[in-house]
Amino acid sequence: MAEAAAKSATNGEPAKPIMRVDDLAVSFDNGRGPRIQAVDGVRMSVYPRQTLAVVGESGCGKSVTAMSSMQLVPMPPGHFDRGRILWRGSGTEIDLLSLNDRQMRDIRGNDIAMIFQEPMTSLNPVYTIGDQILEAILLHQNVTASEATEIAVESMNDVGIPDPKARLRAYPHQFSGGMRQRVMIAMALACQPKLLLADEPTTALDVTIQAQILELLRELQQTRSMAVMLITHNLGVVAENADVVCVMYAGRVVEYANVFELFSNPMHPYTRGLFASIPKMLTRRDRLVTITEVTDDPKQFEKLPGASEGVRPWWPWHTPPKDMAAADGPAGDYYLQEVSPGHWVGVWRTAAVHDHESRAPDLTYRIADDPAKVSLRPKAQHVETTVTGA
Amino acid sequence: MAAYLIRRLLLMIPTLIGITFLVFMLIALSPGGIGAAQRFAGGSGQSGVDARAQQAYLEDRYGLDDPAVVQYVRWLGRISPLKFGTRDQRDPAGTIIRSPKPLKPIAMLGELWGTEDDLTAPGEVEPETLSDDSAVNNATYRKASGAYLLARLDYIAAQTNLRLALSTWGTAQGIRGVLNNKSKLNESKLRGLHIVEDGPVPQAVQDKGLDAASTYRDAQEAVIQAYERAITSYNTAQVQRDHLANVYAAKPYPQVGWSIIPGVLSLGPPDFGTSSSRSQPVLALIKTALPVTVLLNLIAIPIIYLIAIPSGILAATRAGTWFDVASGAMYVALWSIPVVWAGTLMIGFVANERSGLGWFYVAGLNSPEADGFAYLPSWPNGDFHRGFMLDTLLHLCLPVSCLVYAGFAVLSKQTRAAMLDNFSADYVRTAKAKGVADRVVVMRHVFRNSLLPVITIFAAVFPAMLAGSVVVEKIFTIPGMGKLVLDAINLRDRELLLANTLMIAGVNLLALLLADILYALADPRVTYD
Repeated sequence: MAEAAAKSATNGEPAKPIMRVDDLAVSFDNGRGPRIQAVDGVRMSVYPRQTLAVVGESGCGKSVTAMSSMQLVPMPPGHFDRGRILWRGSGTEIDLLSLNDRQMRDIRGNDIAMIFQEPMTSLNPVYTIGDQILEAILLHQNVTASEATEIAVESMNDVGIPDPKARLRAYPHQFSGGMRQRVMIAMALACQPKLLLADEPTTALDVTIQAQILELLRELQQTRSMAVMLITHNLGVVAENADVVCVMYAGRVVEYANVFELFSNPMHPYTRGLFASIPKMLTRRDRLVTITEVTDDPKQFEKLPGASEGVRPWWPWHTPPKDMAAADGPAGDYYLQEVSPGHWVGVWRTAAVHDHESRAPDLTYRIADDPAKVSLRPKAQHVETTVTGA
Repeated sequence: MAAYLIRRLLLMIPTLIGITFLVFMLIALSPGGIGAAQRFAGGSGQSGVDARAQQAYLEDRYGLDDPAVVQYVRWLGRISPLKFGTRDQRDPAGTIIRSPKPLKPIAMLGELWGTEDDLTAPGEVEPETLSDDSAVNNATYRKASGAYLLARLDYIAAQTNLRLALSTWGTAQGIRGVLNNKSKLNESKLRGLHIVEDGPVPQAVQDKGLDAASTYRDAQEAVIQAYERAITSYNTAQVQRDHLANVYAAKPYPQVGWSIIPGVLSLGPPDFGTSSSRSQPVLALIKTALPVTVLLNLIAIPIIYLIAIPSGILAATRAGTWFDVASGAMYVALWSIPVVWAGTLMIGFVANERSGLGWFYVAGLNSPEADGFAYLPSWPNGDFHRGFMLDTLLHLCLPVSCLVYAGFAVLSKQTRAAMLDNFSADYVRTAKAKGVADRVVVMRHVFRNSLLPVITIFAAVFPAMLAGSVVVEKIFTIPGMGKLVLDAINLRDRELLLANTLMIAGVNLLALLLADILYALADPRVTYD
């Protein structure tokens, strides 16, 4: 698989992202208060077979970005203010946000599938597992019921559910949390989607099951050449699974780089804060470092390349620098700058960068194609990786 | 599941016993007590000894002079399908016949009179043998039963007379409160006294003068005569009772039910007794009234469900729109209108031919002439003739609308709330992410999960409507269960009231059980194993 991918890369055939998020802004009605700008000018891109990890704390807009690409943001109160989500399903790019409900339904569950954070409540309690997997298959594939059952059995087999035929007749409450998440994955993958949105798929699971589920996702991604957008706030999960990382804060992308670049050279103080706050083994501390300890330190904001010219990381809690040269339009005070090749950081639109126009974040990087790094991929060594054992 | 059902059904028995016991005791504690209706009937137009004798006869016949608990246990024994002792018999007219009750002892005989030697002991009469001819046996039983009835009546009259004489005698000695506030003899006041024929007049009476002494002597003479009469009639009645008991023991009629342990335990049909206010078997009354109420409800409940649930679903999918607000407001407004008022207005404005529109009928289930109608509508000679069925339906229009209009609010609001709860559920998002169309999501995923509250309401609505059409049936004079219950309460008809209580309680419990079974069918997480 890695060889084949490397070959296509050496063929010089220009790889194209399967999905691009371009300047997306989504806001929510807040009753009498001002509208809540959940996502404001987000840009990112995903390539086939690539895992893009979207990292950030609760409410930073990761889920809204993913839900927007399936038009699952409830409207009202939600509203797409601007931007596009470009989908390259079959050659030409289409804007997912411009599709009507019927067109969108053909893509949902078929081209783009999604798995959710809460396996305990994400399955309908009154229908059997089989009913729910078959529902997706029969919607999108032109097959008979018995063929659909075969597909469902195969799909359940793929995700490591033992005795899939009998388990089709079981109800969700008869499954454990890990098994339910496997069912969710089986359901999502039954129609061979090109992109899987995994919205914190392991948050509600215990650590050993987390590792099994992630291992399973990695395997399935390789065998199916599927792109994965992995939404998480767990940096361990990012390190073990991501090819490219997009760090978000307050609805904007603050840092965007491949996983090795980001982990070895975090440039935005918020990213550095995230790393600093991870408790380290073998170091004894009375208090853990908090993110604010890093972001409250003004010196941390003067470490960016070009800092001497006045390039400052964007940070919503700071008053903008004095030499602001905000561009017209919304989010004009902010600018996602490619500070070094393949490494983007969100900065203030100061005088130093007022006429800069970086390319949108776009990284084809895949660890699987990188012979130097593929062995470095952290493996979940501490658990049995036989997925059938859960 | 089967074990659970059996357990639930068995648990109903103590529940029903508890409910009927409460109702029975409430009747017993209410002014007039259990047999108020019978006593009232006994007192009409008569006075003095006759009235008292008749009252005593009725009390004896219905067992009203026993303590309430004893009466309740006796009632329970009659309605229980499990019978103890010898099996009852059923005469050709269908009446259940039991062995004759033992006679009540003569009032204070041993204490005042000193000796009980003159009494005939039970069981001194020769056993009876019957012929093979059931008609002859019937005649034998009737004769024995008639003779015993007369003898027993005579004895009851003698007892009444004796009590009266005793109270006069007690009063003549200057004892206060010999009669209690129900004009009954208070035996405890006479305890410790003795009757001595031609004995001396007590000193206290002598002190009051000659008149008092003479009154005392007369009273004592009357008591002695009363005792002699009572003993004679007791002996006659005892012989007749034994005779009748022997005839009964020889089984002149076929026995009821099936024997389990012969002579000890048997299974038999419950005997709900005879309504005292209508002199008909209670079961027959219920049999005519129940279909009417069931018909009313079989029309009303589906209407409620068919309107309330779809509008609840629609209100949930369009939460906050004009339809949601308007339908909610309308249902709550309807719910707030008292049935009594609405029913009266309907009669006045819609049904009344003079002041109103005259579209429907004011009262009843059928027009008086409806018995002669054909069942279906017909057009003989070109004239439209509505027929029996249409006549009934036209009569039912107003009562059904009265039953229905208040029912929409709770059901549609509950459906709406349950739907809204489930709209934000995670599995709905999953279904949408699968690409399921919105309408399918609403019905297949959201509504299916909102069924539980709908079932809960069914368990509450069904029995409540069965008993709760009382007001509607009263307003529109419909001869259904509601009217039967109301009449039973008003007329203190014990048997009818208890049978109705038992039935309504039973329907309630069965509806709850049905709801629990429906839960298990609607939600696979609910199991009873």
